[in-house]
Amino acid sequence: MSSAMAPIQIKADRAGFLLIPDPEASFEAVMAFLEERLEQSHDFFHNTEMVLDLRKSPMGSDEISALCTRLHQKSMVRIVEVRLGEEVSFAVAGAPERKRVAPEAGRRHEESAPVIVRNTCRSGVRVVSASDCVVLGDVNPGAEIIAGGDVIVYGTLRGVAHAGVGGDQSARIWALSFEPNQIRIAELVAVPPRGCKPGRGRFEIAEIRNGVIQVVSL
Amino acid sequence: MAGRTIVVTSGKGGVGKTTTVANLGTTLAKKKNSVVLIDTDIGLRNLDVVMGLENRIVYNLVDIIEGKCRKEQAMIRDRKLSNLCMIPAAQTREKNSITEEQMKELCSNLAEEFDYVIIDCPAGIEQGFKNAIAGADTALVVTTPEVSAIRDADRVIGLLEAALVRNINLIINRLNARMVKKGDMMSTEDIIALLSVPLLGVVPESEDVVVSTNRGVPLVHDRSSKAGAAFRGMAGRLDGESIPLDGDAGGLLGRMKRLIWN
Ligand SMILES: Nc1ncnc2c1ncn2[C@@H]1O[C@H](COP(=O)(O)OP(=O)(O)OP(=O)(O)O)[C@@H](O)[C@H]1O
Ligand SMILES: [Mg+2]
Repeated sequence: MSSAMAPIQIKADRAGFLLIPDPEASFEAVMAFLEERLEQSHDFFHNTEMVLDLRKSPMGSDEISALCTRLHQKSMVRIVEVRLGEEVSFAVAGAPERKRVAPEAGRRHEESAPVIVRNTCRSGVRVVSASDCVVLGDVNPGAEIIAGGDVIVYGTLRGVAHAGVGGDQSARIWALSFEPNQIRIAELVAVPPRGCKPGRGRFEIAEIRNGVIQVVSL
Repeated sequence: MAGRTIVVTSGKGGVGKTTTVANLGTTLAKKKNSVVLIDTDIGLRNLDVVMGLENRIVYNLVDIIEGKCRKEQAMIRDRKLSNLCMIPAAQTREKNSITEEQMKELCSNLAEEFDYVIIDCPAGIEQGFKNAIAGADTALVVTTPEVSAIRDADRVIGLLEAALVRNINLIINRLNARMVKKGDMMSTEDIIALLSVPLLGVVPESEDVVVSTNRGVPLVHDRSSKAGAAFRGMAGRLDGESIPLDGDAGGLLGRMKRLIWN
């Protein structure tokens, strides 16, 4: 079987394995092929990390999560990153943090791509980004967004956000509505005062000013 | 045409899953559908008690799955409705005695014969939960207006989405309109805004529920009960009728309309 005909290609990459689905292939064909491949290869892929490359063929978020779940069940394979475009990728929620070089304190990490999450982060979800993290949805109580750079929420922030994990004091947290349990920037932690209901509909930003976290409206 | 398989789940315990299963199932059966209820709460079964069928149990869910009996032998027929029956959970077995694959197969077999297969899910998000949702095409997530129950509902909705259960609907149970008015309880609008799934219905806090549970007669048989009316409305909506929510929800804002069952 020539690999060009396969519904999904499995390429070895320096970091691990790269999965590249054929744009022509159906999701069912991709899943069936992967199942068969893992079966045949015995333990070869067992416990490995893979990157799902969707630059040529987009997949729905539920398909992505079905694929991740299946690979993990079958061979403990972890999809650690999903590439959507040249600059756009996201780390998979629940996947272990990638072994990246720890960001140096005070330095922005603009060279690595931001993580983009295209749905609401519900309780129990943890998203980690080496640089900025953009959430196109709400962050619900019990969810955690952790970023080396800024955290930007196009929705309501009700869970925990930590910007500048590596110690970047200039990192900021942006949200359309701020109702978080707790926010952290670099090594500072802030809990919002009880009963404060901020105005909706425009961005508010949390940043460090004079050594404390403050929330300002744009 | 195959019937629908509906799981009633919540994350947090004691929020009203079993009550919901009994009442929706009874109403759907009264509407001339054939209905089978499955109690998957192995080790903590109580759907049989709520349905008043406890003393008729011979075989149970695990017996069917282990091939100790045919599935017809484990189905207990309701005392009033001949087109309603239930499969009780095993009281003396481990949660791990069945697998997701086995549940899937059982549900799809039952859906061939029945219009509705309604599954009572155990609390928690462990194996029992995974088994209960494995064969379901629709999930009804029950929550009460308490922060901890809502947090668990949110977690469960995330897990259902990841498991590709496509139809997810919300039921808010034990709403106390007086407390909401005073600002002591989260309102329906706040809960929907947070969970962002369509609302199937709202059940008020009511003593009738406790009375009916203790008598082993589902509430919907009682024409005068408000909580019973709420369950009848939800069953109607599930069955494709367009029943406005306002009656049992208590004034929903227009901006929530897009999230409401349609
Ligand atoms: N609307 C209501 N008003 C008053 N009491 C209620 C209402 N709904 C449920 N209850 C009571 O709450 C208790 C728990 O209900 P139920 O057994 O249906 O919950 P459950 O979610 O199935 O619990 P478990 O997680 O233990 O299976 C019962 O005693 C029931 O009578
Ligand atoms: Mg129960």
